[in-house]
Amino acid sequence: MIAGPLIRFIRSQFVNSCLAIVVIGSGFCLAQEPTDNGPFADAVAAAQKRVVKIYGATIGRSPGYATGIIVSPDGQIITASGVHLSEGNVRVTMPDGSLQQAEVVRRSPSLQTALLKVSVPTPDFFAIPEQPAASKGDWVLAVSNAFKVAEGAEPLSVNIGVLSLRVRLDARRGYNDFPYEDDVYLIDAITSNPGAAGGAVVNAQGELVGLVGKVIEGKTTGTRLNYAVPADLLQRFIRGDEPMTAVAETTPRGGKGELGIRLFALGGRKSPAYIDRVLPGSPAAEAGLKTDDLVVSINGEVVRDSGDFRRLTDTLPAGVEITLEVKRKNDLLSVRIKTAAVKTP
Amino acid sequence: MFSQRIVALLVALVASVALAQEKPKPEQLQIAQGTLLAPKAFRAASKRVLPSLVTIEGIGGLASGISAAGIQAPGEGPTSGVIISPDGYIVTSTFNFIRKPPIITVTLASGERKVATLVGRDETRKICLLKIEGVSNLPVPTWAERQQLRVGQWTVALGIGFGGNEPALTAGIISATSRIGGKAVQTDANLSPANYGGPLLDLEGRVIGICVPLNPQSRDEGSGVDWYDSGIGFAVPIGGNEKIIEALKAGKTLQPAFLGVQSEPRGTPASGAHVVQVVPKSPAETAGIKSGDQLQAIDGHEILDVTHLQSIIARYNAGDKATISIVRGEEKLDVAAEFGVPPVQAKPPMPGKR
Repeated sequence: MIAGPLIRFIRSQFVNSCLAIVVIGSGFCLAQEPTDNGPFADAVAAAQKRVVKIYGATIGRSPGYATGIIVSPDGQIITASGVHLSEGNVRVTMPDGSLQQAEVVRRSPSLQTALLKVSVPTPDFFAIPEQPAASKGDWVLAVSNAFKVAEGAEPLSVNIGVLSLRVRLDARRGYNDFPYEDDVYLIDAITSNPGAAGGAVVNAQGELVGLVGKVIEGKTTGTRLNYAVPADLLQRFIRGDEPMTAVAETTPRGGKGELGIRLFALGGRKSPAYIDRVLPGSPAAEAGLKTDDLVVSINGEVVRDSGDFRRLTDTLPAGVEITLEVKRKNDLLSVRIKTAAVKTP
Repeated sequence: MFSQRIVALLVALVASVALAQEKPKPEQLQIAQGTLLAPKAFRAASKRVLPSLVTIEGIGGLASGISAAGIQAPGEGPTSGVIISPDGYIVTSTFNFIRKPPIITVTLASGERKVATLVGRDETRKICLLKIEGVSNLPVPTWAERQQLRVGQWTVALGIGFGGNEPALTAGIISATSRIGGKAVQTDANLSPANYGGPLLDLEGRVIGICVPLNPQSRDEGSGVDWYDSGIGFAVPIGGNEKIIEALKAGKTLQPAFLGVQSEPRGTPASGAHVVQVVPKSPAETAGIKSGDQLQAIDGHEILDVTHLQSIIARYNAGDKATISIVRGEEKLDVAAEFGVPPVQAKPPMPGKR
């Protein structure tokens, strides 16, 4: 009878065929190109692992939150400087979702950036490229927490534009000149929004182009600027070499006394009188006043906001001694300062 | 037997992997590569028009900080312009002269700086014509064909207004090909005072139009400026529009057309534009239009409703003539009208963006 061997033959071929189908099927699956996610997916994925959300104090009109970029494997983070960093309680949500306490290490008044440190290792960090990572017209992606849209461990918001121009910045923030005196990248992605400052601007390969800047108004156009601090300038800040700003700035009125104090310019005259920077070599510097000190009174008169400060100091002549009280963290300090003469150019 | 089977399976595996690799690349990958190459095209387009791009500066005029025309204080930087004739006619935006500077200078791509005279203005398009003397053979850009523009195509805008040695470049697409009564193309390339007076280009480097601040709801001098960073920007095509260029060269000031009727829709459902009141001494009165007339068409274009009437009138300039078809009771008649200048109104204070 043929049946027996025939059945055995068919059965063995059946098993072979099944195996063949399984193998060929998995071969196709293995060889399949990974699903195309568009031209920017890899760059964004890499950037999201290197950008953090920063939360601090809400003061005046400043939003109290920002973004930051990880720049070293030992937890160093660069962000935009601002009053939200001033109360000493800075929390950072890391890319893995964990919440860390951060210490403010140092600031650059000229770049308006701050260096923070968290005490966990950060193996994914932005290296500063040797050459600029983008030129005019190149795609740039901004990764930031504008408007605090990303909650908890959610990935940050990404938007795209092209690099428009590298140019020297001439800008103001509120009523005051913006102290940044160097080149910026102007981009046409919309980054001028609360909370975006400190975000990463990367190219289509995920390399760092710059740090999203603060909300400022350009003097040449009278409009808000979408700008980034170029990565090569961040390199200088990380290393700690900073050009020293000139001492007392001049004002149009002669014979005026100068303390050397510049306040944070937040939302106009009603913002609290936090010191943004103390001019090197000035009477305030010599008296030991620091960034983040809150001016509380001058000669016993209460200073409620920057309007009061201006009112009490604008008419001071050179050479008079005043008593200034400042709040630093939880301490109240009293200093006596003698106003210097304003330097003429 | 068993090892034979293993070998056969391995061969099948390798063959299927190889076969799968032969599949053509998905379209998506090609589009992705094209996107990454776009910046090269942006730079090439920009390079083509650079020789015709000029820097304009106004010296003197209203002091900075004074909010002219109720808008935010204009910036202090230079502005952009485009050469349109080899003998020195230059187009720019009227926005750049809101402060009425007595002296206007033009710096060419060669670095040469010349004093310019303001020849003519088109208030409906927010552009004006300057002339510099003592030049010849200046490079003139190529103009894009208006009919060939397509929504979604790439555009590049260049602007001098941030300062520096080179213009800033922004990129976007054409959002609409006909806005503001047909006078403008809409783009989402970021446009701001840095761009006004400068060119909007296609990827071949041809000029689609001149970037200007516009707002369909308002004709005020600075309206539309506060739409920077909004994704809405406008450029007015002028290439091939000889009628306007000749009028500007002749020193004219082109103003929006004004007819002088107050109208309302009537009937069920309410439609059309029926005259309620004719403004005294207006072009409508001169043409013989009376209260109660239904305005049916202007130069053959049927008027559907009051808003449509306004948009048809917006296509004309003051001084243009048109035939208006009217229905008066049982009668149908045509009247000849000459549009006039809108009456001067006290400008209400406008909230500026600070």
